[in-house]
Amino acid sequence: MGINRAKIAGSICVLLVTGCVPAVPPDLIAAIDAIDHDLISIGAPQAAPEEYAYFTRQWVSLKARVEADDDLIRWPWESNEIEKELRRLHSEGGTTVARLNDRQAAQRRMAESTLARLEARFLSMASHVQSINGRVALGEKPVQTDLLLKQARSFLEQRDYARSIQIAEQASQALQIQTTALRRELGRYADDRQVGHWQAMVKQTVDWSRTHQSTAIVVSKADRELIVYKGGRKVLSYPVRLGFNGIREKRFQGDGATPEGRYRVTEARGAGQTQFYRALVLDYPNAEDRRRFRLAKQSGKIASAKEIGGQIEIHGVENELMAQTLGCVMLANPHMAELFARVSSGTPVTIVGALTGRNSIALALAELADRTDET
Amino acid sequence: MVQIKQLLVPVALTALIAAGCTKPPSEKIEAAEQAVKDAQQSGAGTYTAEEYAKLEGTLDALKKEVSEQDGKFALFRDYGKVEQLAASTAAEGQRVKTEVAKKKEEAKAGALQAQQVAQEAVASTLKLVARAPVGKDRAAVEGIKNDAEALKASLNQVQLAIDKEDYPAAQTQAKAINDKSRAVSDEIESALAKIGKGKSSPSRKH
Repeated sequence: MGINRAKIAGSICVLLVTGCVPAVPPDLIAAIDAIDHDLISIGAPQAAPEEYAYFTRQWVSLKARVEADDDLIRWPWESNEIEKELRRLHSEGGTTVARLNDRQAAQRRMAESTLARLEARFLSMASHVQSINGRVALGEKPVQTDLLLKQARSFLEQRDYARSIQIAEQASQALQIQTTALRRELGRYADDRQVGHWQAMVKQTVDWSRTHQSTAIVVSKADRELIVYKGGRKVLSYPVRLGFNGIREKRFQGDGATPEGRYRVTEARGAGQTQFYRALVLDYPNAEDRRRFRLAKQSGKIASAKEIGGQIEIHGVENELMAQTLGCVMLANPHMAELFARVSSGTPVTIVGALTGRNSIALALAELADRTDET
Repeated sequence: MVQIKQLLVPVALTALIAAGCTKPPSEKIEAAEQAVKDAQQSGAGTYTAEEYAKLEGTLDALKKEVSEQDGKFALFRDYGKVEQLAASTAAEGQRVKTEVAKKKEEAKAGALQAQQVAQEAVASTLKLVARAPVGKDRAAVEGIKNDAEALKASLNQVQLAIDKEDYPAAQTQAKAINDKSRAVSDEIESALAKIGKGKSSPSRKH
């Protein structure tokens, strides 16, 4: 009887001991650890610190409980709260990984497309600015924008999408400022009133040519074209090069701008009389130029030390490898030879910004404005 | 019976007083909190974000344990685990802070090196610009002069980022300046090569 009791007691003990199960299945711990690694590998601590902190707080707390001796085993009839919590964390963690993966993929796509669009806009602007010779008008702005785009590209390559987007936004604003600056500097080419004024100047010159049955010259800065009229009819046209800042309105000596106004040839310099093959010297500055210059100085728009400049000519090319001038109108030497043969002292030369409202600069500005609206 | 009673009363009182004296290890908890705060202020959120999050998690577990023990009847309170967590948090906080300092130093060194490379590239670009002839010939390089000046000015931005300890920004800015500077130098070289074939003209009014 005593043996039976001992057997029963022993069996109960064995049952109890074998009934003790680990509080947490080890593979569950490993699975949550894997989620933690996934979160780290997708950059959650940096990209989603709050979500990662929420996960980590629970994970660290539960891990501490798991590691505590009293939580390691349980009786079969005990409810396993810690396992429930770990399973909930596992499920939430998995959802967080999926959500962050999706968010990151969306952010990457957004960063890539934003940057690609801005880079295309920047290149397009650079190409337009180059085509209308407006590079100097923008000063240091294009480089600043370019640097921002390069920086945004670096952050994108480092998978720091948020920062890439942030810098790209700055680049977008810089591009907007560039467009505004260009419009401010060159907006007169798209201004109907200004274009109307230029057209009236050209009409007077052409009328003069007709009335006097004589030669007159018109230069369009936007189209970089010199047109020769005879008896009021267009007889010839040549492409021209302007100063490095030619499309701007001439304000003072050395600004590289080509003046606009109605001039006359005061001197025709032949071979040996000019370093630029042949030259037609214009009467810049005329009375109107002096009046404008004086007013601009008085209003403080031009520094008092500045000079009005002079020696504006239509000339040939001293050195074919140098494609620019400082404010004059430059023709290829064969064209200059033809023109020189037709022109004498006193010939009217009217230099205008553009002949029509659909000039190259107005079109470039309109296209840039359209691109700004798109982005 | 009276003797037993006389013996039990002091024992019970002693146990009650002892249990009543069981208090959370405030100094150790404060030290742990301070260690986390120090780590955060040293830039752990940026340089060791993952470890910092875990550190915050440990501090959180510590606080939970404190409130759990505080909620128990005085006789059953046991702050042993709290002490253990407080000690490990303080030690980990210190380790993270040291790690941050190391990573920060590495990032700073990287930024300073990139800054130096950019400075040299810009200096070389400016030298090229200075070699451009004056007078009529300067027209060819007038546009890119602006670019060189803009690059020189942008070096200040790199220094500002370094001063703000934003080393990733400083490094990417410096890299951008270096790349752009090299491109501008190439452009100037090409312009100079063109001009070099011609002769300089005297400066005149325009």
